[in-house]
Amino acid sequence: MSEKEYIKRFTDSEGMIHADESVMQKKENFPEKITEKDLLVAYSRWWWANEVPHTYDRMLAPSFLFGMIPILKKLYKDPAMKAESYQRHLLFFNTQCNWGGGTLTGIAASLEEERAKSLAKAEGKSAIDVKMINNTKVGLMGPLAGIGDAIDSGTVQYIIIAILLPLSQAGNPLGALLTFLIFVSLTFAYGLAFTRLGYKLGRNAAKEIMTGTKMKQIMDSLGVLGLFMMGVLSSQYVKVSSSLKFSVQGKEFVIQQILDKILPGLLPLLTVMGLYFFFEKKGLKITKGMFLLTAVLIILALLRIL
Amino acid sequence: MNVLNSVSKSSGNSFPIFQESGVEWIQEVYMEMTVTKALLIALWVAIAESRILGYASLTLRFSPLMTGLVCGIVMGNVSQAMMISATIQLIYMGSVAAGGTLPSEPAIATAIAVPVGLLGNLKPAEAVAIAVPIGLLGSYLYQLRFFFNTFVTKLMDEGAREGNEKKLFFSIMVIPTIISILLFTPLIFVTLYFGAPIVAELVTKLSSGLAFHVLNVVGGGLAALGIAIILHIIGKKQLLLFFFLGYFLSVSLKPLEINTVTYAIFGAIAAGLYIVFTTKDNK
Repeated sequence: MSEKEYIKRFTDSEGMIHADESVMQKKENFPEKITEKDLLVAYSRWWWANEVPHTYDRMLAPSFLFGMIPILKKLYKDPAMKAESYQRHLLFFNTQCNWGGGTLTGIAASLEEERAKSLAKAEGKSAIDVKMINNTKVGLMGPLAGIGDAIDSGTVQYIIIAILLPLSQAGNPLGALLTFLIFVSLTFAYGLAFTRLGYKLGRNAAKEIMTGTKMKQIMDSLGVLGLFMMGVLSSQYVKVSSSLKFSVQGKEFVIQQILDKILPGLLPLLTVMGLYFFFEKKGLKITKGMFLLTAVLIILALLRIL
Repeated sequence: MNVLNSVSKSSGNSFPIFQESGVEWIQEVYMEMTVTKALLIALWVAIAESRILGYASLTLRFSPLMTGLVCGIVMGNVSQAMMISATIQLIYMGSVAAGGTLPSEPAIATAIAVPVGLLGNLKPAEAVAIAVPIGLLGSYLYQLRFFFNTFVTKLMDEGAREGNEKKLFFSIMVIPTIISILLFTPLIFVTLYFGAPIVAELVTKLSSGLAFHVLNVVGGGLAALGIAIILHIIGKKQLLLFFFLGYFLSVSLKPLEINTVTYAIFGAIAAGLYIVFTTKDNK
């Protein structure tokens, strides 16, 4: 049986994989230990991909997955377990490179490692839940990005530029090269430090979670924080508004103003919830949802309703 | 190379800077711009905008210095190019009055302004002003890049589902880079080789047109997809209330400009309260 067929056995009609966790107990599937070098490789890959595959719907999730690939490969030797882990890191994700992405790469690596280890030891019940991994990412990505953007692009970059600008003003190419190299190496260095820190924090937290009795409470509170932050981010990322206006007998009606009087933020929320119920009813048909949404948006935009 | 003559004379553009300074300087400027030079600079900008150099592309995109250096090397006058770039940097840092709107993509503005400044006798601030419409088109292309990438996610999903690292590399790194290079190279090349007025005219036509409007609408709405997917996968139904709480807090408090860190604290408090109220007292 080929690897592709094997994975297919665990793939549901929505294309999502639900692998058999008990295969992790087989000796050949035991997870390898995550080393400092793995963290360096993962962070470097995330750093490199960073905004290359930026999309409207997943934002930087593909880059996050791209960074995690070597680690996930070491942890999940079973093809279906591996593919399932790839899928969960390809969901919506957006953050800043080193403060957010570094820290979260470290945390995700440690949580995935602890999860793989408990599955291998047949401690499936107390293993880190995949929802917990996702909620941690979703809950922290926004605030860490806020900190990172303010410090990195807003402060560190301009301090370096300002200090070295006299070189450029004198016509010296080192003014550009040094500024560039110092910014790049400095931010890379502390991003890597954050990755290591995130890994340590995640590992300690994971041990406490698994040994303690508070598993359910921690799961729930991460769920609350994750969903709350998704709500906040939705209002910032989803921009749907009506540009429709018409006048009757000289009185002008601007639809968006009327909508804002009824309930501000109504249209973006309707868009998100419409898709959410589409997925709840029809299953997670992502491609279908995307083409449907794009088509509706294009038509409404052409009609100048949106 | 005198391709510009016929073109620039015929273009009735709506950007005052061109009307003021006439077309003479443009002819002079573009006489020394060769296909190779224009293409090299265009490729550099496309690489910076594609972000293929990782997080380093952040400063390549937002600071004029490296692009200025590349222009200087290509045009054969590094020292002068650095001085012009330094002034452009000061304009972007707000230390020097810009005199009007700043172009939205600093790297693009620099790629236009430095060659113009080197070849013509324009001051950096004037040269930057020329780049305003090109920067605007550039920022639209940057959004168009997100739009095209969105359609590559289907291939990424396939790669993940099959556990196929090669397919993931191709769809995550290779295709998006090609998309960016195809989008940005022509813009910069045409501007450098045929002159900013042509692009300016195009922007005037496009920005009032439907194309930009549709792109804006689709771009603004598509984020809903990623959010709906993650809600479907991680959202516990009874916790969905907290999604609404976060959403409406953020919508109604928008004028206060509360930052994300503060919202995370609200979220953590909500999580704490939820635990307090749902935990049965075992004491």
